[in-house]
Amino acid sequence: MSGYEFDWSVITSGQYFWWLVSGVEITIKLSLVSIVLSFLLGLLVAIMRMSPLGPMRWAAVGYLEFFRNTPLLVQIFFWYFGSYKILPLFLNDWLNRHDFEFASAVIALTIYTSAFIAEDIRSGIRSIPKEQMEAARSSGFSYVRAMQYIILPQAVRITIPPLISQFLNLTKNSSLAMTIGVAELTYQARQVESYTFKGFEAFTAATLVYLVISVVITVMVTVYDRKVLNPIGMR
Amino acid sequence: MKRLVFLSAVVLLIVGWAGLAAAEDTFDAVKARGTLVAGVKDSTAGFGYIDQKTREVVGYDVDFVKYLADAMGVKLELKTVTSGTRIPQLLSGNIDIVAATMTYTPERAKQLDFSNTYFLTGQKFLVRKGTVKSLADLDGKKIGTAKGSTSEQNASKALPHSTILSFDDYPQAFLALQQGKVVAVTTDESILAGILGKAPNKEAFEIAAIRISDEPYGLGIRMGNPKFRKFVNDTLLEMEKNGEAKKIFEKWFGPGSDQPMSRDFTITADRKYE
Repeated sequence: MSGYEFDWSVITSGQYFWWLVSGVEITIKLSLVSIVLSFLLGLLVAIMRMSPLGPMRWAAVGYLEFFRNTPLLVQIFFWYFGSYKILPLFLNDWLNRHDFEFASAVIALTIYTSAFIAEDIRSGIRSIPKEQMEAARSSGFSYVRAMQYIILPQAVRITIPPLISQFLNLTKNSSLAMTIGVAELTYQARQVESYTFKGFEAFTAATLVYLVISVVITVMVTVYDRKVLNPIGMR
Repeated sequence: MKRLVFLSAVVLLIVGWAGLAAAEDTFDAVKARGTLVAGVKDSTAGFGYIDQKTREVVGYDVDFVKYLADAMGVKLELKTVTSGTRIPQLLSGNIDIVAATMTYTPERAKQLDFSNTYFLTGQKFLVRKGTVKSLADLDGKKIGTAKGSTSEQNASKALPHSTILSFDDYPQAFLALQQGKVVAVTTDESILAGILGKAPNKEAFEIAAIRISDEPYGLGIRMGNPKFRKFVNDTLLEMEKNGEAKKIFEKWFGPGSDQPMSRDFTITADRKYE
C-alpha cells in the first residue's frame, strides 16, 4: 500500500513556515480592517433602512438586496476587474502600482458583510420596544439623538451574538481574496502544497490558524460586551 | 489450477511474441507491412486535432509523421493517443512512433528513445507589444499566472524581486494584463499562444522572446531499434535542411495562425544515445 507520509517539518521551519506566517499576517490584516469598516457601514445602512425618509429607506433596501443576493466571489471580481471601466485612467494606473488587490478584497468583504450586519442590527433595533422611541421623542430627543443615546446602545448589545457570526464568516470568506492574487493564508497553504506536495500538512496548519483566529475574535467580542458595553450584567 | 496453467501459457505466448517482434528492427517491420503506424493526439490545437471540415486529424505532429512515412515509401496510419496512453501504446507495439507533444525527460528516456528535438517550447511571457525586451524589464513588476502550476515556481526563480500574482485561471490573468494590473502573463508558450489567438485585440500584445524553461518535444520510438532511430533522426535533420520543418511550423504556428509563436529553434542532432 502506498500510504501518505506525513512530514510536519516541512511547515514548522524554513521558508515554507515563513510563507504561512506571512499568509496569517495578511489574513489578520484583511479581516480586522474589513470587520471594523463593515460594522460601521452596516450600522449606517441599518439606520438608513429604518429612516422615516422614503428615498433613504429605498436606497438602503436596494443596497441590502443587491449585495446580500450576489455571490461574494462575483463581487470580488467586480471590484477588482470591473472598476477598471468606471474609474479614470490615471486613477487606475495609480491603483495598479499600489496594492489594489488587497484594497479590492477589503472593499468587497466590507460591502458584502455590511449588508448582513445591517440586517442583524435592524432586528436588534426592532427588538427594542417602540415605546422607548416614543418616550424619547416626547422627552425632546430628535430622531438621530434618540437612536444614538437610547436605542442603539441597547440594540447593538442584543446584536452581539449574530455579529460574532458575521465577523467569523468574514474571516473565513477572506480566503476568497486569493482568487485575485492576495497572498493570504489559504493562498500560501496552496503555494506550499504545489511546491512540496505536502497539502495535508499545509492545509491542516491553515485550518488550525483559522480556528485560533475565530476563537480569539469570539472571546474578544464577548469580553468587550461584558466589560465595556454591559458591565453590570443587564440583559 | 487448470485456469492458472492456461493463464501462464497465454502470458508466455504474449511475452514470447512480443520478444520475437522486438527482435526485428521497427524500420524493417514497417517496410514489410507497408504502413507506418503513428500515435498522435486528436484534441491538442495546432499539434494534433480534428479538422472541423474534413473530420481528419491534422496538425504539426501529423505533418512530421506524414513526411516520415513518405520518406520511407509506406502508407501512414494514425492512431489516437493521449498523454496517458502514448507510452504504453508504444511499448506494447500497437504503434511504431509517438508524435504527441511529448516532452523529453530523463525518466521517460529510460523507457523509450527520443528523437532529436523537433519542437522546442517553454515558459515565456505574454506582454504589451514593445514593452519588454529582456528579463530585466520585468524585474520588480507584477507578473500574472495561474495557480498550482510550475509556471509560478519558474517565474519566482527567474524574477526573485517581482510579485507573482496567481489567478484562478489564465483568462483572468490575461484580463489583468489588459487592464495594466500586471505587466506580463507567464506560462507555457503554447497556452499563451492559445490566449493570444483568441484575444479580440491581439495586435496590442506579443509573446516576448524570453524563455525561462525548456520543453523539448521529441518523437518517441521503442528502444533497441537503432536502424529506425537513425532513419527518424536523419530525416528530421534533412527536414531542417530543406526547409520543410520550418514550412510546417509556419503552417501551424505562423503569424496568421490561431496560435502565433516564434520559431527560435532549429532541429539539430541534440540527443545522445549510449
